[in-house]
Parts: sequence; C-alpha cells; structure tokens
Amino acid sequence: MNGGKVTLGRTAGLYAGAAVLRLALFTLFPGLPDLLTGRVEISTPVTSFKRLQEGLFLYNHNVSPYDGGVYHQAPLLLPIFNLLPSFSTFPIFTYLLYIAVDILSADALLRIAESGEAGSSARFTSPRRDKRWSGAVVAALFLFNPFTIATCIGRSTTVFTTCAILHAVANAISGRHFHAMVALAFASYLSMYPLLLLPPLILLCYDRQKQPASGAPNAWIKFAVAMVMDVFGALAVLFQMSFFLTGSWEFLSSTYGVQLTLSDLAPNIGLWWYFFVEMFDSFRSFFLAVFWLHLSSYVGGLSVRLRQQPLVVITLLLGIFSIFKPYPSIADASLFLGMVPLYRHVFPLLRYSFVIAAIIIYATFLGPAFYHLWIYAGSGNANFFYAITLVWGLGLSLLVCDLAFAVLRDEWEVERPEMVGKEIRQI
Amino acid sequence: MPRLLASALSLRRDPRLLKLPPYLSLLCIVVGVVWLFLLPLDDYSRRTYISENALLPGQVHTYFGGSDQNVFRAYKYETDELAGKGNIEVNNKLESIAKGLGLKVGRQNFTYSSAGNTHSGQNIYAILQAPRGDATEAIVLVAAWENVNGELNRSGVPLVLTLARYFKRWSLWSKDIIFLFTPDSIAGPQAWVDAYHDAHDSSLVASLPLKSGALQGAIALDYARETRFKSVHIVYDGVNGQLPNLDLINSVNHVAGGQMGMGVAIQEMWEHSNSYHDRLQTMLRGMLKQGLGLASGPHSSFIPYHVDAVTLQPFGDGWQDEMAIGRVIEGTFRSLNNLLEHLHQSFFFYLLMQKERFVSIGTYLPSAMLVAANFTIMAIALWVKSGQPEVREVITEKTETAEEAGKVALPNPHVTVERDLFLPLVLVAACQFAGVVPLYLFNHLSESALIPAFIFFTILSAILPFLLSSILHNSTTSTTTQQYHLIRSFSLLLLGMFLSSLATLNFSLAFLVGVFSAPLTFVRPCPNSPSNGCLWSFCLDEKVGYGLGEVLRQAAFAWDVTGTYTPVVVWCVWWPAWIVGVVSVLGRPDTRENKVKKA
Repeated sequence: MNGGKVTLGRTAGLYAGAAVLRLALFTLFPGLPDLLTGRVEISTPVTSFKRLQEGLFLYNHNVSPYDGGVYHQAPLLLPIFNLLPSFSTFPIFTYLLYIAVDILSADALLRIAESGEAGSSARFTSPRRDKRWSGAVVAALFLFNPFTIATCIGRSTTVFTTCAILHAVANAISGRHFHAMVALAFASYLSMYPLLLLPPLILLCYDRQKQPASGAPNAWIKFAVAMVMDVFGALAVLFQMSFFLTGSWEFLSSTYGVQLTLSDLAPNIGLWWYFFVEMFDSFRSFFLAVFWLHLSSYVGGLSVRLRQQPLVVITLLLGIFSIFKPYPSIADASLFLGMVPLYRHVFPLLRYSFVIAAIIIYATFLGPAFYHLWIYAGSGNANFFYAITLVWGLGLSLLVCDLAFAVLRDEWEVERPEMVGKEIRQI
Repeated sequence: MPRLLASALSLRRDPRLLKLPPYLSLLCIVVGVVWLFLLPLDDYSRRTYISENALLPGQVHTYFGGSDQNVFRAYKYETDELAGKGNIEVNNKLESIAKGLGLKVGRQNFTYSSAGNTHSGQNIYAILQAPRGDATEAIVLVAAWENVNGELNRSGVPLVLTLARYFKRWSLWSKDIIFLFTPDSIAGPQAWVDAYHDAHDSSLVASLPLKSGALQGAIALDYARETRFKSVHIVYDGVNGQLPNLDLINSVNHVAGGQMGMGVAIQEMWEHSNSYHDRLQTMLRGMLKQGLGLASGPHSSFIPYHVDAVTLQPFGDGWQDEMAIGRVIEGTFRSLNNLLEHLHQSFFFYLLMQKERFVSIGTYLPSAMLVAANFTIMAIALWVKSGQPEVREVITEKTETAEEAGKVALPNPHVTVERDLFLPLVLVAACQFAGVVPLYLFNHLSESALIPAFIFFTILSAILPFLLSSILHNSTTSTTTQQYHLIRSFSLLLLGMFLSSLATLNFSLAFLVGVFSAPLTFVRPCPNSPSNGCLWSFCLDEKVGYGLGEVLRQAAFAWDVTGTYTPVVVWCVWWPAWIVGVVSVLGRPDTRENKVKKA
C-alpha cells in the first residue's frame, strides 16, 4: 500500500512538473506559441492551430468553416474550442486544455507500461522482460521529450489524436474493448489514418480478454466482427453529429478528402509533398493510390508476422505512419518515440541506437536551418529542406527497422535457445 | 563478395581500429585549416564575373555633373547649417527640401533600449515614383546622418539630396526610388527595414505611413569627408554574416573601377598588392567580421530581408570629387533599374580576397565541415569505446588460473556492455541549458553592471567545473570511465552537430568556434597534471580576449537591435562544450583499483 502511495505521489509530481514546465513556457515566452505554430515541422495543413482559429471564426459567423479552403480539421473540434472562453482574451484556457490532453496521453502511456504487455503478451513472454522501466519513467520520457513539448506549445491538434490512440491501446490492454474501440473511432475521426490500427488493436483486445476465449472455432471471427461494428458504429455517430453541426456532408471531402488527395502541398517533414509538387498531373492519381497502398500495406504483414505481440505491431505501425503518412509532423514522431521506451528489455539488441540518435538530432537542427536558407535567406532552395526530411525519414525508419529486428531476435531466441548470443548474418 | 564482407567485418573488430580516431580527428583539423590557407592561391580562387545579364553595369552614359555641382553646393550649405541641431529639426528641413522636389515624404519614430540605454530617433524618407513603373518594385538610397563612427555624413546627405533632384528629372526609372535619411547607421535603418516588411514591434517602432513595392536593392552612402578622394571602399557584411549577392558588389566594382577609373577597396585594405599575403589578410578580415555577425553599416540591416545592399565609402587623397561618386551611384542604379527579377544568379556565400577574386561555398565549406567532422568522429569513437568491456579490470579480479585469465582476457569483442546513459545525459543537458543564464544576463543587464557581471561570471565558470567534478567524484555511485567516455561523447556529438548546422548559415563563425574548440577533441581525464592548468588558462585567455566593456555593450546592442545570434553560439554552444571539457579533464574515473585502494 505504502509503495502504491509513493508511486502515486511520484506520478502526481511528474504530471505537475510537466504541467508547470508547459505553463511556464506558455506564459514566460509569449511569442513562443505563435512562433512554433508557424513552423512547418509542427503545424501541417490538417493540424494547424492557426487554421483552426480561422475555421472557428467562420463557424462563429455562421459560415461553413470549410469555405475558403483553409480549415481541414474535424468539425467537432469547433464546438469544443467554442466552449472555451475566447482565445484572444483568455488564451490561458486553451493552454490548460492542451496541457491536460498531454497529461491524459501520458497517463494512458503509464497504464500501458505498467501492464507489462510489452514484455509479456498473452502468447509470448520475453526472457528479458524483467529489465523494464516503470510507468512513471516511460511517461516522463514522453512528457519531457522536446518534440512533445514543442507540439503542445505549438498547439497542434494532433495531440487529440495522440491522446485517443494511447487511450485506445490502454483500454484494449485493460480489457475494456468497447472503450478501446470508441477511442480508436475518435482518433480515426480526427485524423483518419488511425483506422489502420484497427487489425492489431482487435488482436490486442482478443488477447487481453477478461475471460479466455471459448473453445468455439469461430469465436475470434465473432469477436472481430463485434469490434468492427463497435468502431463503425461510433464513427457513424460522430459523422452524424458532424452533419448536424455543419449542415452538410461537405466536411468529408474537406477533411479526409484533403488527406486522400493531398490537395494542400505546403511543405512538411514528410516525403509526400515534394514528390507531388514535382509530379505531372496525369500521374497524380496513380501515385496517390500507390502511396496510400504503401502506407496501408504494412498493417497486414506486421499483424501476421508479429501475431504474438500485437502491441509491437501497433508501435511499429505508429513509427511507419510518422514517416509515410501524407501530412506528418514531429507530433507523430513524438508518439512513436513515446512508445519505444516500452521495449526497454530489447534495447540491448538494438544495433544502431547511436546512429539513430545522431541522425535524428542532426535532422532536428539542420531542418530549421535549411528551411531558413530556403524561405527567409533565399540562398537555398526546396531541395535543401527536402534533403533533410529524407534524412529525418531515414533516422525514423532505421529506428523502426532496428526495433523490429530486436523484437524478432528476442522471439527467435526463445524458439532457438541454442542461438542465444550468437551473431546472425543476413544472407 | 561474401569474403570481402567477412574481411571487412573482421577488420571492424580489429583493436587497432579504435586507436585511429584521435589521429583521424587531428588530420581533419589540420586539413581543414590548411585548406583555408590554400584558398587565396590562384588555383583555388576564381575571378569574379557578372552572372546576371540584365545588370549590364557600366554600359550607360552617366550624366550627373555639370550644373549639379552647384546644386550640391547649395544643399551642402543648407545641411552644414543643420550640423549640431536636433533630429526633428534636421528632418523638418529635409522634409521641406524633399517636398520641394515633388517627392512624397514619410517619417517614422523608433525607440530601442539595450543595456539600459535607449536609442531613439526619427527616420525620414522620400519616395520617387517610377515614371515607367507600377510601384511593385523599389530601390533604396540611404544616407545616415551619422556614420558608424559617429561622424557627420557631411557630403553624403547633400549628395543624396542632389541625386534625388537629378533622378526626378529622368523618365527612365522603372522602379521606385526611396531616399532614406536615418539619424544613425544601425538602429535607424533597422527600424525602417523592419517596419517596411511589417516585422516590427509596433510598441517600439512606428509603422511606415507610406510604402512602395518590394525592395530590389539598396546602396548606402557614407561620405563624411569634405575633400576630394581617391578610391571607394565597399562595405558588404550583413548582420549574422549574411552577404549580398555577389553580382551587386561586382556591378559597383565594375562601375567604379571600370567606368569611373577610381580604385576600389574591400575590408579596409587601403592598399592591396594582390599578393598571397594581402589576399589572405582580406579574407581573414572578412571571416572575422562575418563571424562576429555585427552590423557594419546602414546596409547591414537590409540583407536579412533578402535585399542586397552595400555601403560606399570614399577614402584616400586623390582627385575624384563628389560628382564622381554621384556618377557611380547613378550607374549602379541604372543597372539595378534594368533588373527583371530579384538578384539570384550569382553567389550568396563567398569569401572575397581581392576586389576581383573570390571563392564560392563549394570550395571553402569543406574546411569548416572537416573541423566540425572531427568532433563527430571522436564522439562516435568514444561511444564505441564506452561499449567495450574493460579488459584490464577483469584480469586483476580473476587470476586464479592462467587458463581462466586467458579466457577472460579475451572477452567476446562484439558483445557490447550495457551503457549507463542517465548521468552523462543529465550532465551534458544541464550544461547546455545552463548557457541560457549568461545569455539572458548579458543581454538584459544595464551597461554599468556588465563588467562586474562578466568578471563574476568568469570566476564562476572557472570554479564550476571543479565543483561539478567533485560532485561527480564524491557522489554515492562514483562516475566510471564509461560514464566519462559517454559525457565526452555526447558533448562532442552536440558540438559537431551545432557546428555543421551553423556552417551552412555562417561559415566563418562555425570555423572560428570549431578551431577554438579543437583541443576539446583530445581531452582525457588526467587529474593533477600540469596540462590541466594550461587548458584552463587557454580557456580563460579566450574569454578575456573575447572582450570587455565596450564589446559587451556592443554585443547587447547587436542582440537587441539587429538580432545578431553570435551570443547564442558563444553561450549555448562554445561555453557548455568547454565546461564539459574541463570537467572531463578534472575527472577521476572510478576504476576497480581505485575502489580497492579506497577500501
């Protein structure tokens, strides 16, 4: 009991520390939020706070928020922000909302870490599982990650998606399927791509059921269908609410349509924009299909190969999304980097940890420098910035690959105990 | 192929490979520095040339002169009367003259405060609307009432007024011409350019009542002397080491040197024999100015806004008169007037070593990158080293049987030890963030407090490493060799990264900081050795060399007014690296042997 109290005090202290740090950054540096909101690394066309304000303004004046083609975010965000006192007079309430969302995300992450799912799932128990970080450490690594802080200060609406995804996973682990599916529906409603997490999440729910599955051969099909129904039911409700709110189905094309067709080509840290800027229009639809197919093709393969550890599938997919989705930002990277510490037990098996860290840090500093050369100094061009986003993507994909390698090696050593500690070589 | 791979893999495990990086680092530094000294040679530098065909410098007849001489004398008489008068009074007079010429006039108040002083004043400017243009583009002619040395711009202001009167008569301008008169050479132009681009803080700097199109170029005239002159000095360094497009310098050079037949000098090299020595000196002066990143004249503030600008300063005793410099400006303006698009053809990154010789970024960047790379190489080497089991320790513990010793003496070389990252990460991060304290202090203290604060801070940063290292040594879990390796590794990694990023923005600053920090690559824990003191005194020397009083005031002014980021580099890149470096020199890594002795 006492131990529990101590940890409770510790986590409360941690959250308070994170909140105070963010509040201090918001209030002591009044220019910082707007500066970060304007950075392409943080705000993308589908998550920008500036565009949200534009949408809010139109919404308040009884104009469709999607008129003018600036706002590309979910309609339900508008009444939420409308409930808060006006941003221009009382910005503090918006700040508090963002801080609270960050802490809620960290709390979900803490629950995921405490469950020990990363080290021992229903079908696989890692021999290394004892070496892990406590939930507080994992939450702290998420909360004090500079990328997370920058996202919070930049008030990108990705934080809501992050929070929903983490809660979906946390609920799935604690056996509350319905909650998990509703959370996933929220995440998908806000940014669409989290829908791709549905298969591994169903697997995770299935593995963590309170009562073990009955022997019936088709029990898992029934389960999966029920889960899918849950998600689509929740999504239908959300869409219906959006429809009532805006009075038309226009929001579908303005939010999800923009992500599907990449109609806004503002630069970001992803790999799509440059490609589609350079492309002839006749090839556009073909390559859009190819890019989306590429993004979604990982889901099936990883779910099958890593069937024993669905949480790993979710983590790796989050990493892949943060590289290959149409409008990625550092917020997506911060979610992935927040999940990575769950795999503390396979860290000794990572081969390129130093290289990855160096690449990510280099890209973090060179990115803004090259963007400055391109946009402000005028002495560079778009290729400079794109080159750095490639490096950034390389760093993240190395991390995804290396983590996948480490997890697979961990599984392999259980299957083949005689190979422990031996070097393997790719042939 | 597999055999090749296998041999490469076995080479990877060769213990000799780990001895290599310090030499490799040294090689990088030496090659980097030697590279720089090779640049002035004919084989490495190039002759300048005009890239932008539209400029056609020196192709037009210039007609300024004749009766304009009398106009100039009249204006000079008028402005001489104003010497010693207040800013507003001067501007009233200038306004009446400019309005008399039929120009639209605007005024702008500004106030800056820095190091407890306030710098305030009023800019005045007049716009000549282009007879053949649509007010989408403009060129600026600047005359500050006082130049950077505080001398009255006695001939410059009347000459600009004369040129305004002269330009007004021509019908060939396709771009608006803005005549800007500022009370001083740094704050005034900065306030005006900021406001022109709506990037000003409107509580301190007033918005402009009158605007024209996008600025295509600017020429500032700093002509304080009243006698005839021999040559013209082109000042081209912008804030933070940014430079104007080389085409602009070339055009001025072409018009002044080629068409008018007057001498041209750069970087205060009043005599230039085009020898290796002079070229090197010019280049190094340019690099130093670029590295400090201070504003060097009224043109400096324009460059960050991507407006190419230079200042012209007549110097030397000769037979050229005011009309000659007027014709140089006329010729340059005619060239700028021809531009169809923004200057972009030629280089933005270059080092000039004579008025007609330069090296471009591709040639000189490798030297800074090599210097930065040496830190990264060493960081990687230290990381690898920190992952290796400590062989010696193990032997001293287990020497029961020779066989066993043989076994443990050759631990599996590719099994890396788990690294303890927490302490090194925290220490390096804390040192990095500590740099914010002096950065804030030195930019916000008042002038009288600057020197005491500096002395206090120097002493503090002399003591800090000793404190840190004794904390490290006496804490319950003593710091191990591995942790010291990691501390150095992280610090060098960050340094290498900052410098290579910086090299793309400000080559000279990155190179200078890199060379000054070069000893950090080779530090290793050696408590109680004389090298300790040497290293420390070297560090101190640089701090004292970096300056006092006036320099501190100027640095604060540059930070507050022009946004120079050199202090950030000094306090958040260079200073933390030194602190960590000295901590690792003072470090007493805790090996098993020490522990036994302690027990």
